[in-house]
Amino acid sequence: MPFERIKAILLQEWYITRKSLEVILDLFYFSLINIIVFGFVFTFLSKQEDSVGAVYILLGMILWEVIRITQYSISVGALWNIWSRNLSNMFIAPLTIFEYLAAAMLSGAIKTIPTVLIISAVAYFIFNFNIFTIGIVNLGLFFVNLSLFAWSVGITILAIIFRYGQRLQALAWGLIFLFQPLTAVFFPVSILPDTLKTIAYLLPPTYVFEAARAGLSNPSVNWQATTIAFAGNIVYLLISLWFFNYMLKKSKDIGQFARNEG
Amino acid sequence: MQNSILEVKNLTKNFGSFTAVDNISFSVADGEILGLLGPNGAGKTTAMHMLLGITLANGGTISYFGKDFLTNRQYCLQHINFASAFNTLQGRISVWENLLVFAHLYQVKNPKKKIMDLVEQFSIHSFLNNRYWDLSTGQKSIVNIIKSLLNDPQLLLMDEPTAGLDPDVADKTLSFIEHLRESRNIAILYTSHDMEEVTRLCDRVIFLDHGKIVAEDSPLNLTKQVGLATLALTFDGKKQTVESYLKKEKIPFTFVKNYLVHIQTEEKKIPSIIFDLGKHIWLTDIDVKKPTLEDVFLEIVRGKTHAV
Repeated sequence: MPFERIKAILLQEWYITRKSLEVILDLFYFSLINIIVFGFVFTFLSKQEDSVGAVYILLGMILWEVIRITQYSISVGALWNIWSRNLSNMFIAPLTIFEYLAAAMLSGAIKTIPTVLIISAVAYFIFNFNIFTIGIVNLGLFFVNLSLFAWSVGITILAIIFRYGQRLQALAWGLIFLFQPLTAVFFPVSILPDTLKTIAYLLPPTYVFEAARAGLSNPSVNWQATTIAFAGNIVYLLISLWFFNYMLKKSKDIGQFARNEG
Repeated sequence: MQNSILEVKNLTKNFGSFTAVDNISFSVADGEILGLLGPNGAGKTTAMHMLLGITLANGGTISYFGKDFLTNRQYCLQHINFASAFNTLQGRISVWENLLVFAHLYQVKNPKKKIMDLVEQFSIHSFLNNRYWDLSTGQKSIVNIIKSLLNDPQLLLMDEPTAGLDPDVADKTLSFIEHLRESRNIAILYTSHDMEEVTRLCDRVIFLDHGKIVAEDSPLNLTKQVGLATLALTFDGKKQTVESYLKKEKIPFTFVKNYLVHIQTEEKKIPSIIFDLGKHIWLTDIDVKKPTLEDVFLEIVRGKTHAV
């Protein structure tokens, strides 16, 4: 009955989230502030007759939050237990790595959906931008693809923290922003220099953001971009899971896992 | 012969060229309390971490209930638990919430009732809804022990559970551990630096030093290996009388003061020494210091005992 243990992790996440101002700030407050700031930028640019660029920014902002919140949830969720010196307690229970990661991924999705819905509502009611313009099916597919990518990044960061300890914990907040320019969140890939363009096309979210921008004028599903992104995400996810297993084994081998709690 | 709950064979752990645990073998029987002792850096914690699966061994095997730990990790972990003064629970959430999370992790049937039964048993109602971080050290220690009992373990691994506790709470914790063994017949693997509590609790003791087992026996038998007790006699009379008697009997002694002598002797000879000396001088005070597990510990650390 693995769901019982997945439920345990979700329960703990829920208890921590509702009692931690930091989590509430990181997840909901920053998302709200971002949408408000980007909303005003959108309004300003729209008045400068650059309505296309303006829409790209707000659209990119909302979709980016899917990646940011999901990845944050996976990576920082483990840190709460490391900081409380509770991580080893969790893993000396009959909890498997699969269950732990499954719970972390589910938790990411659970936090992301309401947050993205709220900021989408703010975008609609305050800035008159309707995210559903890109199509509901598209939105669902984009959500899946962006979540998959965020899972891969989150799991990779978690692997690094388990292996090297808390000294690299800043990656849990910072590393994801490396992908913001590389995946062309706010602008077309075409404006990137050739080298970065090549890197961009190796990253699944690039296809999602490109398809999302195209969806503004044509909301039908771009199956080619969606499939490429999905296939890429599966490859990245499998690599991240392998990497996590490898680093966890290494961490246990050199005694770092037990030392993670100080 | 009792069933073996835990069987460790040739367990070894190297960190680079440093051998933290060096080919150790031991077992814990059903209902037994086994003490794992040794100076800092002896390998106790590393051994404990390997037994819990959070550090990987380089060699050897660990079996719980006759099943190999590596290939039956979940089964084994479902039937053991761990309590330590050094591992804490999630600080931001309440005691009740922490216990509920762990009850689900151990798939406890009717988890709320199970927790409430333990809450009753330990009388922790008053801080059940407090944040774990806000508890005193003693309260945290009790909650850690409650967490470790949620799955009704057959073997409990305890790493210095009384560290940092005041004597009153430490004594209550020890009494509870004694009660636990009596009422549930739980086997316990126990590490501590407090030799008195080890003597009080443990049926058998293993001393580790530099990763190796250097002594293994009951606390009583280990103290016998140290041998001599110290008899401190304060007397009113001539020092020469005492000195000549002890020299004649070839008993080692040291005069601390002209009226106080420390005599090293076997415990069984103490009554006759007192009787003989009492014929010639007036003994004003008698104090006997029997060898303790602490003496064994010190001798091992200082390299005098090599009994295995």
